[in-house]
Amino acid sequence: MDFRLDDEQEMIVQTIRRFADRDLRGWAADADRAGAPPERLHAMAAELGFFLDAVPAANAGALDGAYSHTLRALRGFELGRGCAGMAALLETNVEPALAARAWGTSAAQQALFGSLAAGGLATFAHDSRGLLEIEDTGGLRVSGKLGPTPALAAASHVLVAAGDLLFLIATEGLARQPITPSGWRAARWATATLDAHRVPADFVLARGEPGRTAIAAVLSWIRTSLAARAAGVATGAMEHAFAYARDRVQFGQPIGTFESLIRLRDDALTGASAARLMALYAAWAIDTSAPDAADAASRARVHAGDVVARATVDALQIFGGYGFVNDYPAEKLMRDARAFEALYGDERLGRVLAAKAQATAR
Amino acid sequence: MDMFHDNPMLQGVRQMLGAFAKQMIRPIAIKHDQEESMPWDLMKAAQSVGMTQTAVLDGRKRLTGIDEDPDPKKPRSQARIGVAASEELAWGCPGIALALGGSGLAAAPIARMGNDEQKDEFRKLLKGTDEQGHIKIAAMALSEPGTGSDISGMKTAARRDGNYWIIRGSKQWITNGRSASAYVVWAQTEPAAGRAGVRGFLVARETPGLVPGKKETKLGIRASETAQVHFEDVRVHQDMMLGGAHSGDGPAGGLADTKKMLDATRPAVGAQAVGIARAAYEYLLDRVRRGTLHGTPMASHQHIMFELAEMHMEIAASRLLVHRAAWMADHHLDNVADASAAKAHGARTVQYVTNRAMVLLGEEALEPGHLVEKCYRDAKIYDIFEGTGQIQRRIISRTLTGQNPT
Repeated sequence: MDFRLDDEQEMIVQTIRRFADRDLRGWAADADRAGAPPERLHAMAAELGFFLDAVPAANAGALDGAYSHTLRALRGFELGRGCAGMAALLETNVEPALAARAWGTSAAQQALFGSLAAGGLATFAHDSRGLLEIEDTGGLRVSGKLGPTPALAAASHVLVAAGDLLFLIATEGLARQPITPSGWRAARWATATLDAHRVPADFVLARGEPGRTAIAAVLSWIRTSLAARAAGVATGAMEHAFAYARDRVQFGQPIGTFESLIRLRDDALTGASAARLMALYAAWAIDTSAPDAADAASRARVHAGDVVARATVDALQIFGGYGFVNDYPAEKLMRDARAFEALYGDERLGRVLAAKAQATAR
Repeated sequence: MDMFHDNPMLQGVRQMLGAFAKQMIRPIAIKHDQEESMPWDLMKAAQSVGMTQTAVLDGRKRLTGIDEDPDPKKPRSQARIGVAASEELAWGCPGIALALGGSGLAAAPIARMGNDEQKDEFRKLLKGTDEQGHIKIAAMALSEPGTGSDISGMKTAARRDGNYWIIRGSKQWITNGRSASAYVVWAQTEPAAGRAGVRGFLVARETPGLVPGKKETKLGIRASETAQVHFEDVRVHQDMMLGGAHSGDGPAGGLADTKKMLDATRPAVGAQAVGIARAAYEYLLDRVRRGTLHGTPMASHQHIMFELAEMHMEIAASRLLVHRAAWMADHHLDNVADASAAKAHGARTVQYVTNRAMVLLGEEALEPGHLVEKCYRDAKIYDIFEGTGQIQRRIISRTLTGQNPT
């Protein structure tokens, strides 16, 4: 076992850390207020290898060989330290691209990869409560509501996991309602209403048992990425809080010297450190096809969700009254924390239902 | 006195304000949260049911129909009325509740330390409407950029000039700070006397040198206005100093009195937290009763049902602490630690309940304008204002170990 990063990993971490510290943090407050990322985000991020990292080289992407979820988790942690909303946009193409590569028909691949290579975005939605109505006759007829989903307002395609079906929807002609939730406000969210929306047969990536397997894989990828980013947000929140606590004096001493506040930071960083390691383990398990990859990703997300919720609330507490107003980043971070637990379903509930189904089947 | 059954008066307060919150506050809560605007129309309408901006001065008879017994040894009921009312109004929207009652923060020190002339002046300043046609409101200006939890480090100073005081300094996080017509500002009149030298002054908005500053954009309670206020050599007649000048005879009228006043509001602040927690919990409860998960009733899942039970227990425990602290105040018992416990526990409960409710509701709670998401944002301030969670724990633990709690 070796916890050291190799040269490539170290280089990517350092590069993304600089980008997160200098650019994402610099843009975060304005992007939050505007409910949109700065225009230069796309070009700068593309230069750093985002958006096309999961698109095969043969389709004008940058992926040659196996995709590294470990590298993605390492960079996700740094992005989380920068801005969760913009991080969601930078990571949004990965699930659709990897799914299309693994299970897509050539028609689905050409449509998706063509759009992404031209600078487009795609996103992923999970019908975690079984609310979509789907008629499957080779092609699909889908009714119900998708989202709220980040990047959906800007995406050309959305990868949907529902029941045992994994399919791609082209968003052209889809009734989308762009929204700006209170967290990840830069992430170009939308909901979509589908009324017997037609999905052609060659956009259905997998169904039945292979569909379940494919969906489990996609959920593992995104859970791992979410966990890494959440650990980054939690860590970043305490970095901000303790930079403030060093200077803020109350009762004649910097508040960062109060034991109760040190304890808040220590608990948060302990939790975030564990969450980061759990995300990295899950990523390694996915990369090496370890049998516990799906479970590891789910566990990482449960823990990271708890940690980011607690750490951002506690970071705001350290800021006190200043934390409650938008002069400092604390209140944004607390708003940003919510999506890590709410997106793609309540992770604990999902685990309980899966374990119950398994126990009942025995 | 039976603590566990509401007397008819408290039941009446609950019913009346519960209905008011449901019919008048809740329907406009999301709008004012999203716009970050004051509910001026409702504030005007509320006056007709006794929620006036000077209610704290005028007593609660108009609201409850009952006068307090003037005998200081007999039990009162104002603290219990206060917590019952606070829970109901905050259930509707804590930001709007604060907009409705924010003037009370300024009225309270005037009621406690002001003389008849000052009370009349306060009433006069709040009569009629301002230039925008809004009812007139008041602000209490205590906190400063450098003094949040530690108000003894106050920098705003008042220096004597004949029969006048010249006030200079800046105040931060002031409720109604931009829109108030009357301010009660706290300033150090005699630095050598420390806390005992701090005094409150009643200042009219149009007094030269009083400059409302930036309105804050906040995480929650967004229907209540919060702003900075600057006092640039504001000249105030000595008759408008509350409690008289520092005489060396003790702290009457000084910061110690103000701190006691803050202590007295803690059960009501805890009750507001209970009201928000209840709002989020009731939303989830309704969803669980009617909702499905993969075609099965949500109420058939232990995972969800037990979380509901946990929330119910925490809310009930917080409410009992709040009512006990209020009951102690009404019975003239020392409740400093109990009031802190009520406030701190309420803050913890509302953060716990709103967090878990959001997780259980899933993606729907991310939609703009969702009540539970708003409750989550509104909840956090309850661990910060009126004494942070850390300050409350300091008070409780120092009381437990026999030290001076403050």
